[in-house]
Amino acid sequence: MPLLELRNLYKSFGGLQAISNVSLTVEEGEIVSIIGPNGAGKSTLFNLITGVYKPDRGDIFFEGQRINGLSPDQVTKRGIARTFQNLRLFTHLTVLENVLIPQHHRLKSGWLGAVLRTPAYLREEEKMREVALEKLSFFGPRLMSFRLHQPVYVLSYANRRRTEMARAMATGAKLLLLDEPSAGMNPKETKEITQIIRRFRDEGGYTIVLVEHKMNLVGEISDRVVVLDYGEKIAEGNYHDVVNDPKVIEAYLGRREE
Amino acid sequence: MRNHLLTLATVGLVTLGLYLLTQMDGTSGLLSALRLIFIWGIAAISLNLINGQLGILSLGHHGFMLVGGYVTALLMLPEKERRPFRTRLLSDWARDNLDLDKWLRGLGLDFIANSIDLKFIIALFIAGLAAALLGVLVGAPSLRLKGDYLAIVTFGFGEIIRLLPNAPEVAAFTNGPLGIKGIPGDAGTIWWTFFAFLFVLWFFTRLKFSSYGRAFEGIREDEIAAEAMGVNLAYHKVLAFTISAFFAGVAGGLYASYLQSVDTQTFNFFVTFFLLVAISLGGLGSITGAVIGTAVVVLVRNYGGFLEQPYPAWVGYLSGALLMLGAFAFSAYIRKTRRLRPVIETKHYIFGAIGLALLLVTVFFRNEPWMTQTVQFFGMRKILLAVILILIMIYRREGVMGRAEFSWKLIFGPREDIPSEEQRKQDAWLSNPELNPGASETKEDDDASA
Repeated sequence: MPLLELRNLYKSFGGLQAISNVSLTVEEGEIVSIIGPNGAGKSTLFNLITGVYKPDRGDIFFEGQRINGLSPDQVTKRGIARTFQNLRLFTHLTVLENVLIPQHHRLKSGWLGAVLRTPAYLREEEKMREVALEKLSFFGPRLMSFRLHQPVYVLSYANRRRTEMARAMATGAKLLLLDEPSAGMNPKETKEITQIIRRFRDEGGYTIVLVEHKMNLVGEISDRVVVLDYGEKIAEGNYHDVVNDPKVIEAYLGRREE
Repeated sequence: MRNHLLTLATVGLVTLGLYLLTQMDGTSGLLSALRLIFIWGIAAISLNLINGQLGILSLGHHGFMLVGGYVTALLMLPEKERRPFRTRLLSDWARDNLDLDKWLRGLGLDFIANSIDLKFIIALFIAGLAAALLGVLVGAPSLRLKGDYLAIVTFGFGEIIRLLPNAPEVAAFTNGPLGIKGIPGDAGTIWWTFFAFLFVLWFFTRLKFSSYGRAFEGIREDEIAAEAMGVNLAYHKVLAFTISAFFAGVAGGLYASYLQSVDTQTFNFFVTFFLLVAISLGGLGSITGAVIGTAVVVLVRNYGGFLEQPYPAWVGYLSGALLMLGAFAFSAYIRKTRRLRPVIETKHYIFGAIGLALLLVTVFFRNEPWMTQTVQFFGMRKILLAVILILIMIYRREGVMGRAEFSWKLIFGPREDIPSEEQRKQDAWLSNPELNPGASETKEDDDASA
């Protein structure tokens, strides 16, 4: 059974067919890249999976259960977490708080228990802290020690990206949807992100779907590449096959006048 | 541990001070100001939960306070105050049955019914519950909206709730526009107000620094991100709204018992407006700030009376001069501390010149009749408040406290977010690829939980 399965998805905004007839399966432990020119529908696809938009037609299955129609927080509870293309961190909260909030949905204590600081609540809080530190330590000591207590707005751009990834992991998700994880990063940082994404899979056991424009990153880590153009899936396969596919070249570069 | 002891010591000292104040003569003015600070402080803290921590603008707070006020009034009204209502609007049923005393005696809890204090606490609790119930009813449908739209809807609900007691159908319970008078005042001594205030401080601080408080702040920072991170928006918004409405109801009950009467004008829209001013002044999202803001507003309103006394005109000229010279000095100081150059610009001399001219006029014409005549400035208190608000918005837009809270750590403890010299060095080493080639490979198994 595939971890994530999209069956004939359709979504239109007014007259614009943003996604049409896209089917896709993602197996557990895979790294799948979605590429395509601007406006191809990559982000819309993410928004459909995470419940921000409801598909017009078609179904989304996660671990064999239908999840379309669920609200974003319910989708996250099922085990899908995402990062955003233009960082959406909780800017005025500290790094630690940013990584604690995504664990809130797993809290069993009610608000009264939280106010009274019952032993059960304190245990859960301690556990949340441990998980937060564990996820943040994926990025080495960069976000640890004093950084934990700094508000996000003092962090560098790369550190914010890292915080956002740690935040997505802290939801307890199995599937991470990364929307341009290397946007705005220099080559060195991109290289590091590439390694980290691979470690997410190898050490963290996450399955990863990512949207990316930097082809060297895509080529380096993807098990499978899916190409979208005008909302349709035009190619799928390993990186080498896909980039040499004439349809893909046409989508990116256009057709030569004969 | 030390911090807990410090907190306990502070509470003890404040309680002792309050006790001494109640024993002294001539402190009734101060005591009533303190009571107002506590009452409005509770309301401000509860509004702060929605407007500051959850980050949604709600303008219906006076409605919840009114419900709390009316419920407390009805439940606490003694028998002899109820009797005249027969001739007025209050229906026989309401007069005979909406009586906490009767309920308690019916349950065989005479010892509570005999103690006006215990009865008052129960009445406040029921008042809070009534307001909270209304909070759910109002919040659940309207919290789908965002921003200005939500503000308008909550304002509308607040006004509807406020005007309901005047409706003929409801007037049978509320005595219509006449309101309810004769609520026992001795039940609302400063002590119950004080303890309620302490409880509210404790409750809201605990809530803010819990997982739920963090979820609220996440919603304030970015609703979409919070939802994507698994925070159930609808549940948390309604939860915050309900808790806030509960304590608004309690504050309304306390205020009704402070005034010993309640009618629909007691809780008009200016109540919400006043609370908004208080929390913006103190810092949206800060409980400490809400208290500071309330204290400033209440003190100016209670003790600003001297500003509106009749004075000879030269006092006005002189204070005008001092104000202008003060503005001159202040602007120079601000520019110096903020390292803006040049420190004094030409336009600043205008303030200095006006101030100097006013000073000279005051000195030279001090015996002229137009200088010695008596004048009175009505409304100076409100102007002073407005000026304070304007200055805060210009020089410290986030309010006195910003989003920070008072804590002992702030005074004594180490700042965790500022790196030590060693950490700073290590950090420079980490982020410099020349000093630390291939950081991510070598640091893989780094247990950095320290």
